[in-house]
Amino acid sequence: MSERLGGWVALTARLLLGGVLLAAGVLKLPDPAEGVRAVRAFRLLPEPVVPAVGYGLPVLEIALGVLLVLGTAVRLAAVLTAVLLAAFVVGILGAWLRGLAIDCGCFGGGGAVAANQTRYGTETARDLALLTVALGLARWPSSRLALSPAPSCMEGRP
Amino acid sequence: MTAPSTADRRGRDRRASRADRAEAARERVRQAEQRRRRRHGVATAVVLAVVVVAGVLVQAARSSTGDDGVPAGATRDSYGFALGSPTAKVTVEIYEDFLCPACEQLERSAGTELRRMAAEGEVRVVYRPMAFLDGYSTNRYSTRSLNAAGCAADEGVLVEYHDQLFAVQPAEGGPGLTDRALVALGSRAGASGAEFRSCVVDGSYLGWTRKATDAASRAGVVQTPTVLVNGRELENPSLADLKAAIAAAG
Repeated sequence: MSERLGGWVALTARLLLGGVLLAAGVLKLPDPAEGVRAVRAFRLLPEPVVPAVGYGLPVLEIALGVLLVLGTAVRLAAVLTAVLLAAFVVGILGAWLRGLAIDCGCFGGGGAVAANQTRYGTETARDLALLTVALGLARWPSSRLALSPAPSCMEGRP
Repeated sequence: MTAPSTADRRGRDRRASRADRAEAARERVRQAEQRRRRRHGVATAVVLAVVVVAGVLVQAARSSTGDDGVPAGATRDSYGFALGSPTAKVTVEIYEDFLCPACEQLERSAGTELRRMAAEGEVRVVYRPMAFLDGYSTNRYSTRSLNAAGCAADEGVLVEYHDQLFAVQPAEGGPGLTDRALVALGSRAGASGAEFRSCVVDGSYLGWTRKATDAASRAGVVQTPTVLVNGRELENPSLADLKAAIAAAG
């Protein structure tokens, strides 16, 4: 019973993370130059890698989102998502602590905002919550309605 | 004496080996399953890496133009337009987007005074137009208006056209001026004729607009207006603060 319930919880986690990643990627995709500027605004990465990160991030987000929504290679996708979210948290906290006034550009946009319009607290809390979900999914990846069932799900059957 | 014990042993061995074989078979299945899973993971990781690398290349290609034209009269770095004496003690650099309302306010409050100071040799003003607000109009007005400004620079009326663009600035979120309206606006600034028209309509300086915006981003500009007085950024670019900073720098 509890294992069956766990499968549904994991499905919810997959759809939540996958949905957020797909939204974030799709919203960033139309304007590659804006993505690069948003990454640069964090003043964290060395300039030579900034364009690659700006161009590649939406693609990676969409790819991970597809894996999670379909339910294939769930553990791999969950681990990579957790790494990505951890990096986002570091970036946002870094901007916050250094007194930058920027929008994270998490769902497109990015760049400067008025000092009283930063949303670092909300952005950090959201990413930490998603990070927790991703880590949970990496630990227990077996879920309902998955394209390729995760290991424990198969072994659990007679 | 030895026969039964041998038979016993054989029986035990047979039973044991049957159990061993079954166990070995299960183990093989488990290992095969594990290999299959590992192959699946590696394959997915490889596909993921290929997709991301391809995506980077596609996105990079989409944001480059290969179009190297620079408007006439631009500063040596290609992206600024200077007014006043090159030897003035104070240089004021202004990064602005033609769709940015705060830039319009700055132009309205400080434009005339800056032009006077530039004309009298007190300051050198460098306009650094950029286009990063395409998401705030329905037809990429930031980029198209900057392209048109480049076209006006070729006609020698950059500053005049710049002022006209701010005078008719559309609201954020809606459609900006059409290319046709941008062409018509040229006549108010002294730019007309077939060359200006085709430059605006064909987007002759679209590549330059992207490079200008990219250069601004690399210079650390994340908002407009960004005003630098002798290289130092003003916290609050108002006329009063600007005059104070110019006085302090001069």
